[in-house]
Amino acid sequence: MRFPWWSRKQRQELDEELHTHLEMAARERMERGEEKNEAARAARREFGNLGLVKEVTREMWGWSWLADLYEDLRFGARVLRKSPGFAIVAILSLALGIGATTSVFSVVYGVLMNPYPYAHSDRMVHLVAHDTAGNRRFVNLNGSQLQQLQKASCIESAAAMDEWNLTTTEGDLPEDVQAVYLTSNSFVHFGVPTLLGRGLLPSDAPDGEDPESVAVLGYKFWQRHFQGDPDIVGKKIQLVHKTYSIVGVVPPRFTWGDGEVYLPLKVTAEPARTFFIMIRLKPGVTRAAANAEFQSLLEQFAQQTPTHFPEHFHVTLEGLNDQFVSDIGGTLFLLLAAVALLLLIGCGNVSILLLARATARQHELAVRSAIGAERSRLLRQLLTESLMLSITGAIVGVALANGLVKLIVNWLPEFSFPHEAAISINLPVLCFSVGLALLTGIAFGISPALQSARPDIAQVMQSNTRKMTVGVHGRRTHGFLIAGQIALTLLLLAGAAVAMQGFLRIVNMNLGYDPHNVMSVGIPVHDNTYTTWEARSAFFHQLLRKVSFMPEVVAAGLSTNATPPNNGWEQRFEISGKPAAEQQRARINFVSSGYFSVLRIPLQQGRLWDETETLRGAKLALINQTLAHQYFPNGDAIGGELRMPEMKGEPPFRLAVPGSDSWFQIIGVVSDALDDGLQKPIKAGVYVPYTISMPVFTQILVRTQVPPLTTLHSIREQIHTIDPDQQAERDVRDLDGWIRVQPEWGSGHLVATLFAGFAVLALALAATGLYSVISYAVAQRTAEFGIRMALGARGKDVLLIVFRSAAVNVAGGVLAGVVLTILLNRVLARWIQGSSLNIPILFGVVLLLVATAGLSCFVPARRASSVDPMTALRYE
Amino acid sequence: MAEKRERYQNRIELLQGTLDLLILQTLQWGAQHGYGISVAIRNRSGEILQVDTGSLYPALHRLQKQKWIKSEWKISENNQRAKYYRLTATGKRQLTRERSKWAHLSDAIAGVLNPFEDENEP
Repeated sequence: MRFPWWSRKQRQELDEELHTHLEMAARERMERGEEKNEAARAARREFGNLGLVKEVTREMWGWSWLADLYEDLRFGARVLRKSPGFAIVAILSLALGIGATTSVFSVVYGVLMNPYPYAHSDRMVHLVAHDTAGNRRFVNLNGSQLQQLQKASCIESAAAMDEWNLTTTEGDLPEDVQAVYLTSNSFVHFGVPTLLGRGLLPSDAPDGEDPESVAVLGYKFWQRHFQGDPDIVGKKIQLVHKTYSIVGVVPPRFTWGDGEVYLPLKVTAEPARTFFIMIRLKPGVTRAAANAEFQSLLEQFAQQTPTHFPEHFHVTLEGLNDQFVSDIGGTLFLLLAAVALLLLIGCGNVSILLLARATARQHELAVRSAIGAERSRLLRQLLTESLMLSITGAIVGVALANGLVKLIVNWLPEFSFPHEAAISINLPVLCFSVGLALLTGIAFGISPALQSARPDIAQVMQSNTRKMTVGVHGRRTHGFLIAGQIALTLLLLAGAAVAMQGFLRIVNMNLGYDPHNVMSVGIPVHDNTYTTWEARSAFFHQLLRKVSFMPEVVAAGLSTNATPPNNGWEQRFEISGKPAAEQQRARINFVSSGYFSVLRIPLQQGRLWDETETLRGAKLALINQTLAHQYFPNGDAIGGELRMPEMKGEPPFRLAVPGSDSWFQIIGVVSDALDDGLQKPIKAGVYVPYTISMPVFTQILVRTQVPPLTTLHSIREQIHTIDPDQQAERDVRDLDGWIRVQPEWGSGHLVATLFAGFAVLALALAATGLYSVISYAVAQRTAEFGIRMALGARGKDVLLIVFRSAAVNVAGGVLAGVVLTILLNRVLARWIQGSSLNIPILFGVVLLLVATAGLSCFVPARRASSVDPMTALRYE
Repeated sequence: MAEKRERYQNRIELLQGTLDLLILQTLQWGAQHGYGISVAIRNRSGEILQVDTGSLYPALHRLQKQKWIKSEWKISENNQRAKYYRLTATGKRQLTRERSKWAHLSDAIAGVLNPFEDENEP
């Protein structure tokens, strides 16, 4: 016996020591006059058995437990290698459960539980005002209101921010840069140390003066634009012809406002100039108390600047993650439930496999204990074997978790999770699922040893193994496990089917417009440019003309806020001659007349406005069918008038024609197109010429022959010829892409694909579980079947016997699964929007499961029925 | 082979206490290698005690594990590399204990074998 773990050195030293002994003995004999060969022989004779001396000496080294372990491992590996199918299925079952659970939970943890790097992010909130119709909007405050707010008793600190698109003005084409302006206390407010250099300081923005030209870079921008230059601090960057010195770089998880550069914000006393407000509450302040304080404070503010607030509102505070939790929380928890089921099914599968094998190995264990193996030694052997399986499964599972996390992160709907989230494998959950897998392996792995610990050895050995049928107890455990597995699989399949149905509904939705080969190029207008109505409308008109004359472009349209499927500015409106309902609201879209042909939205009645009407800002309106049906049920919309009382200019930002809040003439009705996302019903919509009211941003919608994004560079060049400083947004998508970033699409896609994947895996696991149980049972009853067939049973009869034994378990499982699914249907319906369980789904799922189960039984049953009776009888 | 092994093990058992004492005592006179120890025991016992290698080496390795002796490779007087064993401090204390135990034992055995010797001598 050779034990490789004793160090080679130790063994060599023993060899040498004994060899020296022999040499010394021989030398002494030679000194006494013996002949050389004779002396050596005599010395060896006197020494005794060299090998045996070595062995008994080595035993003193005291490593025999390790020797046993080595034995067990070698034996275990041999046993597993002899049944690779069993080993692979068991390992994969565990690995899938571990990998899926860990990865999904890691995403849940990263996105929902701990997404932010900011200090005390649980106390960071935003102000939200709700109007009486249930619309919510963020409250922005001006400089003096911010100062009053900071004195509120529940506030620990408050900071303000603003966003603007700037451009680099050094390269060929201007590059869009997302600037976030922050008050100088913001870096203290966030409490995140910079990666390089420093953050913004109070000295960067002294009260009442223009701020210093300093910039802190966002991590991604630093990587992209400066290739992660480690000596960046102190260098300069030019943005819209203004030079800033770079004072610092924020760490990767600091992505507030998805800023690429962070610049000091100038807080002015101008009442119309408002900022987004960031608040951290004092510890221990309840939301209710804070809401009450802010309600009265904001009511005061609303008297100062009534246009910044809804008419009647109530204030609530919204935590940083509240929106994301409601966007994607349900989706992720649903997935978590799915993977938990998968883990259970996986562990169930391993238990079934181990139990089935245990029954088959009872004979072997009985023989081994009959020839003197101690019970503890047998236990240890079985434990080693099942631990080998579990540990291999765990290792594969960890690798799988790693890959799956990356996949899920790629599939997360882009704007439905905080970009601060650092999603990585969550250790506690990894330990939990690995632990569960190990426990399953141990518990079911040693059960045969526990059973055969008090075996009637004689009985087991006398009854020829193969003829023995499984004991009643073993069969019942198998039955329960199989039925449980099938029930859970059915639940998972039904969930997957519902999710897929929901997603297919979104994919096949009638949009009302044609998104293919159309893209939307966003164009942010620079601060202090085109500040008069005439200048800005001329600029927009020129942009549209240049682009529409490009050879690649089939049609072009301009809209400042109307890229579907979630578009328009929701406002109150009135219809001339009709009393306005309390909440009569519509989505107002500012578009050019080309918009409708680009998107292929058909005109139902009336006419579109023409170019001259656009250029003079004619007060004409088109309405969608929803509005027409709702407010002009007699079809007399055309010729009617409507007005949007809130539609006023806010120069220099929003430039409107005089009388933009007065009456508009309705000249036509267009078909409905989605305007409130993919799942909600279409809202009443009004289209007016874009020149009526122009913000500091516009979009050009372009229909092309080729994939539209390939023409983007030439479009940027065209824009450049009009205004060398004018950039287009960096993140340009085609309209199919705009559909995919809708949260409904993203979470529907995530749930449907992952759920379906997990369900298929669960089905495969359940099938292998059933298959192996039936196979073992059949193998053990081979002789019995032989006898039956020798006595005249036909193959068909044997087939029936096998099927009947499985049918009870499968039927029980299916029944339990159906009941479970119906019970949980409510939960499912709440989380998967736009789809619910129905009879065809339930029926289809049951059919699929029964067919799979039938196939898993059929293969081994077929083997049993085609056996030759004589062979079966002789079969040991 | 199993049978032979058994025999060796039995001898170790038989000799254990005494062989340990003899080895420790031999090493008190200075570091020595395995062969040297067996020769020393043989010579000092007037060629009566022949130490079996199958007992000697396990005993040496066991005593080393118990930290009563230490080993190191040195060059012998015949210019040969050999593993030398030497007593440790705990080994010395153990030797004292073993010696007094042996003295008690041999006194007791002597007393049993010659009950009247003491009275007869004067």
